[in-house]
Amino acid sequence: MGTQVKDVVIKPEAPNTLLLDKHADYIAAYGSKKDDYEYTLSEYLRMSGIYWGLTVMDLMGQLSRMNREEIIEFIKSCQHDCGGISASTGHDPHLLYTLSAVQILSLYDSINVIDVDKVVDYVKGLQQEDGSFAGDKWGEIDTRFSFCAVATLALLGKLDVINMDKAVGFVLSCMNFDGGFGCRPGSESHAGQIYCCTGFLSITGQLHKVNADLLGWWLCERQLPSGGLNGRPEKLPDVCYSWWVLASLKIIGRIHWIDKAKLRSFILACQDEETGGFADRPGDMVSSLWNCHIQFCICIYILHVISLGLAILYTELIILCGTFLPVLYISIQVDPFHTLFGVAGLSLLGDEQIKPVNPVFCMPEDVLQRIGLQPDLLN
Amino acid sequence: MHGRVKVKSTAQQEEEKRKEREKKLKAFVSARDAVLRKRSAGEHDEEALQLTQQLLSSNPDFATLWNYRREVLLQLETSREKDEVQKLYESELHFIEACLKVNPKSYGCWHHRSWVNTRLPQPDWTRELGLCDRCLSLDERNFHCWDYRRVVVKESGVSVEQELQFTDRLIGSNFSNYSSWHYRSTLLPQLHPQPIHSHRVCEEQLLKDQLLVCVCGRSELSVEKSSVLQAELQSCNQLLELEPQNKWCLLTIILLMRALDPLGHEKETLAHFQTLKEVDPMRSSYYSDLCSKFLIENTILKMEYAEVRVFSLSNKNLTTLCHLDQLLLVTHINLSSNQLLRLPPQFAMLQCLEVLEADDNAIESLEGLYHLPKLEEVSLRNNQICKLSDLESLASCTKLTRLDLRGNPVHKTANIDSELSQLLPLVTALSL
Repeated sequence: MGTQVKDVVIKPEAPNTLLLDKHADYIAAYGSKKDDYEYTLSEYLRMSGIYWGLTVMDLMGQLSRMNREEIIEFIKSCQHDCGGISASTGHDPHLLYTLSAVQILSLYDSINVIDVDKVVDYVKGLQQEDGSFAGDKWGEIDTRFSFCAVATLALLGKLDVINMDKAVGFVLSCMNFDGGFGCRPGSESHAGQIYCCTGFLSITGQLHKVNADLLGWWLCERQLPSGGLNGRPEKLPDVCYSWWVLASLKIIGRIHWIDKAKLRSFILACQDEETGGFADRPGDMVSSLWNCHIQFCICIYILHVISLGLAILYTELIILCGTFLPVLYISIQVDPFHTLFGVAGLSLLGDEQIKPVNPVFCMPEDVLQRIGLQPDLLN
Repeated sequence: MHGRVKVKSTAQQEEEKRKEREKKLKAFVSARDAVLRKRSAGEHDEEALQLTQQLLSSNPDFATLWNYRREVLLQLETSREKDEVQKLYESELHFIEACLKVNPKSYGCWHHRSWVNTRLPQPDWTRELGLCDRCLSLDERNFHCWDYRRVVVKESGVSVEQELQFTDRLIGSNFSNYSSWHYRSTLLPQLHPQPIHSHRVCEEQLLKDQLLVCVCGRSELSVEKSSVLQAELQSCNQLLELEPQNKWCLLTIILLMRALDPLGHEKETLAHFQTLKEVDPMRSSYYSDLCSKFLIENTILKMEYAEVRVFSLSNKNLTTLCHLDQLLLVTHINLSSNQLLRLPPQFAMLQCLEVLEADDNAIESLEGLYHLPKLEEVSLRNNQICKLSDLESLASCTKLTRLDLRGNPVHKTANIDSELSQLLPLVTALSL
């Protein structure tokens, strides 16, 4: 199918060992500089950002370094009269952030600091006639929200309040010819949606409705020559798909269909050795392109300079190095989102330095054991 | 969060960048605070529209601002005539299009556009379809746009044939056209509705689904007629001569051969699977499992023709077991010399089983060997049974008298003989 494959090239000097301490330091310090540009602009998803940071810290055994009291107070201030929870103070409630908040409070075993009954009412109230869930009162429908709804209710032990048959019926109506799932009926299969739908079907005990062989094949085809995973055909790999794709494969019992060693190498290569944290793909992808171009330019320039005399060559080279060297070290930005999914992916691959992670909830297994929540997976 | 680049530069450039960001941040924070203050004060006016417009143009994922904007628009609606409302929302569409140019993948933008169309006294679906055409010409894989297009098509009554033609054009001109193929897969059944399938036919459907995905991008393939499949097999074989390492070709040939004549093509199929594993080693576990599934299916087919109750799958490189629900009458099963890691829970369906041979595998788990009322003899030589607890399920097989566990790590367990006679008192012939 075509000649070229969209992929990245991992440089030989890319990180190949797990730098857990650096990542813990990165997350612990993230958000302490409240005047950071990226941090402020991502306020609209703050609750999820906190969930990503806390979960990865807990997986690394470093949860105690985070400010529990401050976070709990913050969550309390984000619950609205309707019961729903917002991403941050002054923002509107939404299912996405309601789930993140409930996940955080589960990690902290402090679920009762919010009004749980109202949360349940809020979630229940978002179910539509056809079984789907809206994200909030403005009516956007997406299978992500079906997942958020049942995951929230499962963590609160209140799955029975919704119309389960209809909810399941809607999600199954989003199954496509390739065995995958999209946002709404008729939408293209996408690894993120597949994670949400297989997670949903696990929580609701309906995994037998999945076409595990067909979907498992589609998912294992996400692995590219670099070892990384993309989210759908003809797309670049991204470390967050180490989670969406891998967790889905684990849920449907087909995780052995990808090359684990190659994926591990890819994930490790996405680490930033200087700052800690993971980026969406390995650094130096851009610089390898630059390297070829610049090496070519330098060669031509040097040949030109040689024709002018050796004495000039030496000083010219010094100037060249001064100008071009900085450009050779282009790399990609890290963030807590990709850091969590890189670490969680490594946990699913069996890294013993990281706590076991639950593939449905993306939370430490020991937290879910404490709650008594162990949704079925296919074998 | 995705695709952002960090560029190292000189100290001076760093300082300039820092000052620039500080300025931008200050502007953002003051605009954001002003908007949220206005909203708390319950103000739904033109100024609110201006402030949110400023912020949303570069921050379209700030969902609360879209919500506020909708509240303002709804409020303004109440004091305007129909034609003014039309203008109000048309200008809103104009604004959204500007936002989409900056960020064509913002959930908030697309949802807001859908919402606006529900408020417009007279939506212009032709214009909306045109927007979709333009957007998809820039990025054929933009699923937000495809989803929006499906809504537009439904509301405006564009025909299935017209949409099929649209996908034809895209597929013809674009290499990355999976989204179009997906759309076709939803359009075709609307033209040719399929009847409900029975369980047996479902296996065929599975094969057809995979075949469809496989050939997706090569040609318009109807997987219904065997003459079409035969022709496709021929052309794939020709392609394989030119590109013997083409994995899509190999897999398509395997699936086509199965659809046409699974038993007749068995040898060729095995050879192609071997090549596939060499050509695409990352997915060799998948190919091993798929090959195992096909071999089991073939053995079941042969068994049905012969009407015997002895089922042999020995020496077939099996990595997985399946279709156990079709072996309910089997009395003797031979799984020896394979690469099985476990006897899965579904194994318990073999209620007629009397003799199990599963030597020379890598079996660690005997989950499926429980409550088998007729099971008398089990041979599990040279496997990976390590702990006494791995054998617990056997206690529920009350007719079991002969058990061969030679060549398993479990024999190293302290007092294993006495432990086993306690766990399985009815077993008289035990080999360790």
